[in-house]
Amino acid sequence: MDKSFYAIFKTFFKVGTLLLGGGYVILPLLQSELVEKKQWISNDELSQFYAISTSLPGIIAVNTSIFTGRKIAGRKGAIASVLGVITPSFLAIVFLASFLLKISGFYLVKSVFWGIGIGVISLLFFAIKEMWGKCVNDSFSTGIFIFCLILSLIFHFSPVVIVILAVIFGILYQKYNRSFIK
Amino acid sequence: MNILFQLFINFFNIGVFSFGGGYATLPFLYEIAEKYGWYTTSQLTDMIAVSSVTPGPIGINMATFAGFNTYSLFGSVVATGAIILPSYLIVTCVYKILDRFNENWMVKGAVHGLKPAGCALLTAVGIKLILTSNLHLLGALILICFILSGLKKKHEPIFYLGLSALIGLFAGLFHIIGV
Repeated sequence: MDKSFYAIFKTFFKVGTLLLGGGYVILPLLQSELVEKKQWISNDELSQFYAISTSLPGIIAVNTSIFTGRKIAGRKGAIASVLGVITPSFLAIVFLASFLLKISGFYLVKSVFWGIGIGVISLLFFAIKEMWGKCVNDSFSTGIFIFCLILSLIFHFSPVVIVILAVIFGILYQKYNRSFIK
Repeated sequence: MNILFQLFINFFNIGVFSFGGGYATLPFLYEIAEKYGWYTTSQLTDMIAVSSVTPGPIGINMATFAGFNTYSLFGSVVATGAIILPSYLIVTCVYKILDRFNENWMVKGAVHGLKPAGCALLTAVGIKLILTSNLHLLGALILICFILSGLKKKHEPIFYLGLSALIGLFAGLFHIIGV
């Protein structure tokens, strides 16, 4: 099978084009393109890459693409895959952004975007609800949630500081649990 | 030149600290809007809308968009490049310890803390956006309808954005709200 820079770029470009609505969809897409069609990697490897990508910082789809590209063709593959997966986004957004900038002054465009703002907030609400179901499921995570929400909303802490605190508390809690079991 | 450098540092930062997929970069983009004013928080709402219905990872879409609003095409290149660079470096390191990574107790602990923190950060942005946007009574009522109907059966993002765009158009045509 052809594992050239261009072939890998093209495959991930296709994945980037088909990706819609958040990084979670990337797993089934990569399964059909890389495991079934190209047979570049096995399903187990892909699942492992995805699982680790969700525990790493950064954009999940980008992390997963770099892992799989790296597996397929080393450093060359990693660069080809990440460029491939972001190029459709990049082109579409630059095109739309320059178009929006031109029309954003018109009264009706403003009122349309006033309306869209309502849709956006409801999308965020659904995303939060989904995350809540997945992440906030014991007293520790509930405590962290409330603590971080207060830090951000009332004390205007930077997200960077909040993330660092959450990591420290998470590790301390895990350490405490481990010593408790022993 | 200076602004491109600041843009790079800030988006590199997002690449290092954002966690959890989808809208995870949003709290950081909101902070940048407040701190530097490269784009307004209402432009941020437009970015979320466009990024949600455009192909590609939402995080990349929003970074490209924010970069474009800051410094046109060069801004897009710098912001997008800066946000993926940490991913590249981190994945390259983790690749060597693949099998042990997710079993490591410190990784488990960190993820246990990070997940609810990411959810809290997004909740905070949602609340801030509601407070700063000019919803009016009409907007607030529609938002409640959307959320209640979404709890029963959730549609695709394009459904909510399309419907709310139409509502905005009519509100504008009949001068119901002052924008």
